[in-house]
Amino acid sequence: MSTYAAWAHPQLAAQVLRPRRDGCSEIALRVESLNDARQVLWLEQRIRALPGVRRVAIDRPAQRVRVMWDAKRTSLPSLLDHFAAANCPAQPLQRDSIDDARSHEQHDALKRLLVAGMCSMQVMTYAFVIYIGVVDFVDFSTRNLFRWLGLLTSLPVVFYSAQPFFSGAVRELGERRLGINLPVALAVALVFLASTFNTLRGGGEIYFDSVTMFVFLLLGGRYVELRSRHRSGALGDAAIDATPLLAQRRRADGELETVAAIALLPGDRVHITEGGTVPADGVLESAGVRVDEALLSGESHPLRRERGERLVAGSVLLSGPAELRVEHSGATTTVARLGALATRARQARSLVAASDREIGRFVARVLVLTALTALGWLLVDPGRAFEAAVAVLVVACPCAFALTRPATLTRALGVLAGRGVLVTDGAALTALARVDYALFDKTGTLTVPQLDRRAVEPLRGDTVEQVLQLAAALAHESSHPLARALADAARQQALPLHAQSVQVHAGAGIGGEVGGRELRLGRADFALAPGSPPVSSELAGALLLADAQGAVAAFHLDEQPRVDARRTLDALRGDGIATTIASGDNATRVAALAARLGIDDWHARQSPADKLERLQAARAHGHTTLAVGDGSNDAPVLAGADVSAALASGTELAQAHADLLLLDGRLDGLVDARTVARQVQRVMAQSRRWALLYNLCAVPFAAFGFVPPWLAGIGMSLSSLVVVVNALRVGGDAAPDHSDASGPAARPRELRA
Amino acid sequence: MNILLVLIPVTLLVVIVAVWLFFWAVNHQQFDDLDSPSVLPLMDDPAPEEPAPEPPGETGRSTQ
Repeated sequence: MSTYAAWAHPQLAAQVLRPRRDGCSEIALRVESLNDARQVLWLEQRIRALPGVRRVAIDRPAQRVRVMWDAKRTSLPSLLDHFAAANCPAQPLQRDSIDDARSHEQHDALKRLLVAGMCSMQVMTYAFVIYIGVVDFVDFSTRNLFRWLGLLTSLPVVFYSAQPFFSGAVRELGERRLGINLPVALAVALVFLASTFNTLRGGGEIYFDSVTMFVFLLLGGRYVELRSRHRSGALGDAAIDATPLLAQRRRADGELETVAAIALLPGDRVHITEGGTVPADGVLESAGVRVDEALLSGESHPLRRERGERLVAGSVLLSGPAELRVEHSGATTTVARLGALATRARQARSLVAASDREIGRFVARVLVLTALTALGWLLVDPGRAFEAAVAVLVVACPCAFALTRPATLTRALGVLAGRGVLVTDGAALTALARVDYALFDKTGTLTVPQLDRRAVEPLRGDTVEQVLQLAAALAHESSHPLARALADAARQQALPLHAQSVQVHAGAGIGGEVGGRELRLGRADFALAPGSPPVSSELAGALLLADAQGAVAAFHLDEQPRVDARRTLDALRGDGIATTIASGDNATRVAALAARLGIDDWHARQSPADKLERLQAARAHGHTTLAVGDGSNDAPVLAGADVSAALASGTELAQAHADLLLLDGRLDGLVDARTVARQVQRVMAQSRRWALLYNLCAVPFAAFGFVPPWLAGIGMSLSSLVVVVNALRVGGDAAPDHSDASGPAARPRELRA
Repeated sequence: MNILLVLIPVTLLVVIVAVWLFFWAVNHQQFDDLDSPSVLPLMDDPAPEEPAPEPPGETGRSTQ
């Protein structure tokens, strides 16, 4: 029985397969272990050799493989088996991942570039005949013929290759703003129309060679930019695919199993713990819960849902747990989740590309300058007015200036995704460079709680296993890191118990009924019923399991700082950031950890409101703040900070409010992000200075008629290229050595191994 | 100069054919992966790290 046999189910297959008219199917798969180019080739050859496989496209940076094949000859499970047999286990992605917008865009740009290149070379040879003809023996009618040939061969360039500039300019005008496409489109149209007019007239200067070369060079610059943007995008996609939404499905025998949300079928019963994401649309089958639908509707107030009401996929459970009966599965569902995380990360990238207001002002000035030049020359020497005006239009066009922000930020987001930091808000990167105050949550963020068996202390004569099972039944329902550690410790054994009518009290503990006993799990003040005998003082710090008669067991959880916590904090302090711990835990433990991590400023017994107040006080003092957390109770603090970071191992609610997601539980991603944010600032300022300097130097020459339009085109493309190449420096120099340890996505250097 | 009347259509034809060929190549993903083909000449040995296990999927499962 293969592990992939489940994918034979037609409803499941329908979610990931796209049928084609010729009877073939298409699928997009995520393949993680594509380490070097040889493996890619080998896998490709191997899959291509399967019966019925028509096409295999492997996108290594995005870790995606697209296969088009005849599902009648090789079934989907057996296709997946072949991937697994090739040591490249593949996970099907949902259907809308099949369409590869990136490769379409890239093919389109490449074709336009090539047509422009070929035609501009042709036009150049024709133009040479005319140039030579002026001094040589070429007669007048031949020269006229070559003008017509020039017109003919520049038609594809103007109407096909330059089409993105025209449609871009029309779009910008439709949105009532001035963008960089407008001067370009204007220059191309003006030069082409004037040359056409002169051709028809049979006299005067023609500039077909200039206009085609201008378009070619510009497209070349844009193509380089496109490729680097796509590369960064692919890295981001790989990071997003790496964190699939999981669901806990109840099997027929009542046991829970963890499956990918995409594999849920209508009618499945799903268990959702407090702080978890609703994995599919469905009907609530347990008592009423509070949910947060902020990610879906923008509604920030918690909503109440009663038994029998519908829960929408992608909403986050604030109180819990809940039982859900799935109504719709797959595609519809996961789109909602995309609304949560993936789309936000993608939006961050596309927003980056949107032009800012400065460019509009810049373009307006360019247009005025062009008009002035034309006017000036008309008064002095009308014959040179056109040429000089076009040169100014081209030289002064702020292409390089407009490229700095998108090119640099896109590169930064890609680099960070490759190092395990997912940026969901591009603007946060700008703020991160200014951060000088960082507030850390303790449990789950700086520390990983662990429960050792020997640290379980039964107080009323039960065995360790018994109390562990009782406590785990409750702990299973909470997303708090301590509860997770407890549940993990109990998971090794069989005989699981189930808790009934569970209530999770945020920040305090969990209460519920296990095997007919009313139990409470939490710190002493929560767990012990009023009037029950108090426990000895050494148990005050432990997690207590208690019933109505008093404490049943104590769990001494051991909290180890994350391996990279000290290093990360040291690096941040060295960078001039004041670090603070604010924890809901008691003073002894917070103090001990603060001492280990070298933090002077620590605060214990903090409620979420206290933390937020502390953060706002720091902001009032003029600090730019960073908040790092992982739990649902950190959400307000994360939302209130200038920059927020959450661990991807934390709850969905925390992730929903975070600007940066640290994957793989690595805190040192913060240091990487800070370094890159600083680099971005530096590189961006540098590029902008360069672009402005270039424009300022070149414009006077153009205005006085020293720059022919073709030279203006070269200058403009070169200045844009400088900006794109400069952006590639982000993340390039001296990557911190610790990030080499285990990057989630292999970086180019490692690929050469 | 009459040779021009032959040569010019020929150049135009060459451009059209070149563009057509190139479009064909782009549409068939010839330019999508520019990294892997550089190691293609090294691939003649049958993949050393994998012992080429028999794929488990071919155990006569119904392909319907």
